[in-house]
Amino acid sequence: MNFLRILESTAFSEWVLTSMLGFPTLIALHSIGMAVAAGLTIVVTLYLYRFVAGIADAKLPGILHIAMWGFLLNLVTGLAIFVPRGTEYLANVTFLVKMLLVLVSAAILVWLKSHVAQLASKSVDVCNSVPARRLSLVSSATWIGAIVTGRLIAYLGSVY
Amino acid sequence: MGLEKLGWLADTALGHWVVSSAAIWPTLECIHFVSLCFFMGGMLMIDLRLTGFFRDPCTGLVNRLLGLVIGAFLVNFTTGALFFAGNATKYIDNPAFELKLSLMVLAGLNALYFKFRLAHLLATEEVTGDSKFVGYFSLLLWAGVIVCGRMITFFAR
Repeated sequence: MNFLRILESTAFSEWVLTSMLGFPTLIALHSIGMAVAAGLTIVVTLYLYRFVAGIADAKLPGILHIAMWGFLLNLVTGLAIFVPRGTEYLANVTFLVKMLLVLVSAAILVWLKSHVAQLASKSVDVCNSVPARRLSLVSSATWIGAIVTGRLIAYLGSVY
Repeated sequence: MGLEKLGWLADTALGHWVVSSAAIWPTLECIHFVSLCFFMGGMLMIDLRLTGFFRDPCTGLVNRLLGLVIGAFLVNFTTGALFFAGNATKYIDNPAFELKLSLMVLAGLNALYFKFRLAHLLATEEVTGDSKFVGYFSLLLWAGVIVCGRMITFFAR
């Protein structure tokens, strides 16, 4: 907690909270990263369940790679938003639930990319992989959960 | 932009309903953001094809994704319209909201150009200068729409 308080009193935190280029820019980039990561994960899930078709399996790792860049943008901007009010966020149960959901989503995204790349390199139909299908579905659900809890942080903060 | 002419929406039953309970606005926000992700996922895939990230013939893929994209856009647009109805003063004379609407119109025109001039490319492996421009322009415009959407609060009077 002391470490968080030190971070909260840095010039960077002051800049995030007071500059027009600080929080608004970070939250906008945070949303773009979220839309890319969650959006592409959802599309890959639809592909694995054969709701959409028409691209080679070998292209899926590249698409998931872009999703990972989206997540990276989401993570970096999320950390920058967290730093100025870290102690407040850690006391917010909705935020902690969001973090758990993001962690699950991101872990599955990393696994899915390597699993799909492995299957595609062996010319195995990725849509037949039950773990890939099930976990991608879990990842899509946890991304949606993370978005919902992310929106609710401001509203439910006082409840806890 | 003439949006002040729509200020009366705040006095309608719909406008009152949006702000009638503490749960409605946050619920609409959640739906707005989730539909945004569905929309962006489908849109990104189409733009990646247009820019040549993958070149597979994919008319079927795009037709399916267009259903997702249009459905998600309608949900997103409806929830956005409800925000306007519930708190019109936040959006009227708001430069971020006006720019967001302008970018959406441009993105719509860009999509129409794709539909009428470039859609035939999807049946082939071809990527042209035109298709690359439309794909990158679309990515830029929708990123701008998201940025402006997040800026509305900071530019509200």
